[in-house]
Amino acid sequence: MAQTGVESAAAGHGAEPRGKRTEDGQATYLVAIAEALWEEMERDERVFLLGEDIGVYGGAFKVTEGFIERFGPERVMDTPIAEETIVGLALGAAMEGFRPVAEFQYADFMSSGFDEITTALARYHYRSGVPIPVVLRAPSGGGVRASSFHSFNPEPWFAHTPGLKVICPAFPSDAKGLLKSAIRDDNPCVFLEHKWIYRRIKEPVSEDPDFLVPIGIAKIQREGSDVTIVTYGMMVHQALEAAEDLEQKGISAEVVDLRTITPLDKDTILSSVAKTSRALVLYESHRFLGVGAEVGAMIAEEGFEHLDAPVVRLAPPNVPVPFSPVLEDAYLPQVADIEAAVEKLAAW
Amino acid sequence: MVTSTPERARTPGADWRVGLSDDQLKELLYLLKLCRYFDERMEALYRQGRLPGAIYSGRGQEGTHVGVAYALRPEDSLFPTHRDLSAQLTKGLDLKRVMAQYWGRIDGYTRGRDGNSHVGDWFGHRTWTVMSHLPIAYPVACGAALAYKRRGEARVAMGICGDGATSNGRWHEALNVSAIHQLPVVWVVNNNQYAYSTPNPLEFRVPTIAERAAAYGMPGVRVDAQDVLEVYRVAREAVERAREGGGPTLIECVSLRWRGHAGHDPAKYVPKELLERYMREKDPVARFASLLIERGVVDEEEVKRVQERVENEFDEGYRFAQASPFPVPEDVTKGLFTDDGYWASEPSREGGTG
Repeated sequence: MAQTGVESAAAGHGAEPRGKRTEDGQATYLVAIAEALWEEMERDERVFLLGEDIGVYGGAFKVTEGFIERFGPERVMDTPIAEETIVGLALGAAMEGFRPVAEFQYADFMSSGFDEITTALARYHYRSGVPIPVVLRAPSGGGVRASSFHSFNPEPWFAHTPGLKVICPAFPSDAKGLLKSAIRDDNPCVFLEHKWIYRRIKEPVSEDPDFLVPIGIAKIQREGSDVTIVTYGMMVHQALEAAEDLEQKGISAEVVDLRTITPLDKDTILSSVAKTSRALVLYESHRFLGVGAEVGAMIAEEGFEHLDAPVVRLAPPNVPVPFSPVLEDAYLPQVADIEAAVEKLAAW
Repeated sequence: MVTSTPERARTPGADWRVGLSDDQLKELLYLLKLCRYFDERMEALYRQGRLPGAIYSGRGQEGTHVGVAYALRPEDSLFPTHRDLSAQLTKGLDLKRVMAQYWGRIDGYTRGRDGNSHVGDWFGHRTWTVMSHLPIAYPVACGAALAYKRRGEARVAMGICGDGATSNGRWHEALNVSAIHQLPVVWVVNNNQYAYSTPNPLEFRVPTIAERAAAYGMPGVRVDAQDVLEVYRVAREAVERAREGGGPTLIECVSLRWRGHAGHDPAKYVPKELLERYMREKDPVARFASLLIERGVVDEEEVKRVQERVENEFDEGYRFAQASPFPVPEDVTKGLFTDDGYWASEPSREGGTG
């Protein structure tokens, strides 16, 4: 891809978000998200942002820094700390033709807007036929020593709620392409950005203003033949690291990145399992009734004839996310845990 | 806070008809009678076991529902609750389709996906499809009003909830946000004195709900809802203020819930004397009919004709609902998202009549 200087526009427009690409043109996950928002706001007047501290301050993670200067306070709307009403504002404006993108400061605080999300936003279209083009963005996940109230993975709540599309990208390109798709989608999308990934992962990302990644399609991030690791979000990166190590030990692991939790891409999962005959379902939400519980059940039900071993789940225990680094590391699946689980499966 | 009373409205020199023509007054009478009759008949059918699901009577509160909704234009939006079907009928919903909804038929506004007064018609009459979690639509009304303000449209959103919902955090969030941004919205509280079985004194400490408006920086008005004209006058003033950029208003309409929370509830917690007094002295439908006769706008004969029209419309609606097909079971998973185009197409019907 073309080299993009530090001072050049992030997405080829006059003004620009403050988050910049690196000198060799790579974008972090955070910059890719900012570019997606910026480009869609340039493209479509109906798109606007709302949330806590997103305007003058630029957001808790600075995703929207520089936006208010370009788009003004009406399209980059600072709200009071009123999560139910943030969702309600987005829903009502969407019903009247806007395409709002609401930011939750942390995914943990989505519980403060829970009823408007799971009752109003999710269930309105099925009963009325009214298109609801709303995106809820939220930084989720742990691994950053942020303790119980700033590390949560709410995706099972929303995946369990009919009427919401739940998106959990792991790479900058997917984050950009999926967010742009979500903004152009006529249905409510919960877009969970993993805060551990924000500034850690970068890659070349398309600058095409119509670069889209389709919602509901998983991606094989690494091909392998012995064991399938089905995962998403931060755990994709742990899985890739584990797969690298396992290669040295002669075990070939395939890493399936779901990218979207709902709709779930069963075909990609099942065709990978058909190839490897073994599945490890790795996820960061709680083990009990988490995303992997459904994925594991689906593989057992629809891919039984492919399996040479039981489907194995690897996920955090059913406790709140703890703070102490020792405890949080014990809570989150580590690369060594993944390797051990894959080795056990491979030996089956 | 302003307290409006029928006495205030009847002060010498005041326009008793609050600017309404004879035809409009007659339309109000028709709406009041339609809503009352619908409510009574549906309850009778429910008690006979001929109506599936639930009913939520709005009887005794028609002065509120008809009065506030009559102040809206077709392009204005209404965000009501299950108690407020009369407001939706006033906004123009088709009685036949409303009744099809009660019987779970495909011609109901929700195509059988919801029942009873959990109805709405966003594409047509700009009303919210009701949800039970109250006041869930208050924040949504803020969003619709925000859209009107952003686009510079002279439109208004109106949210209705009961006294019970004013104890919920969203009620406060929505009023606050609407005031901050001076949104074109009118907040109506149908204070029927009971949140299911819980009376006002166990719901809030302040004497009135309307006085809370001051805390959010908006006007508050308390109105006696036995008088539909006074409710209409107060609502019209608030709607026009919102339309002209003057921001939100809180209106507390005081009435009494004549029936239980839902069809199964005998409401024994309401003192008998209180209920009897309201039914005898503060019946908004009977009072308005008497007023129009007294003022010579209609005579007894015409009132009778209105009643006949209402009864015929009900019977027609009932027949339409019974004849309307059920939805097709195979469609149960359709229309969750826009992707399958279910709502954009004509629905398939059991029996193939679609």
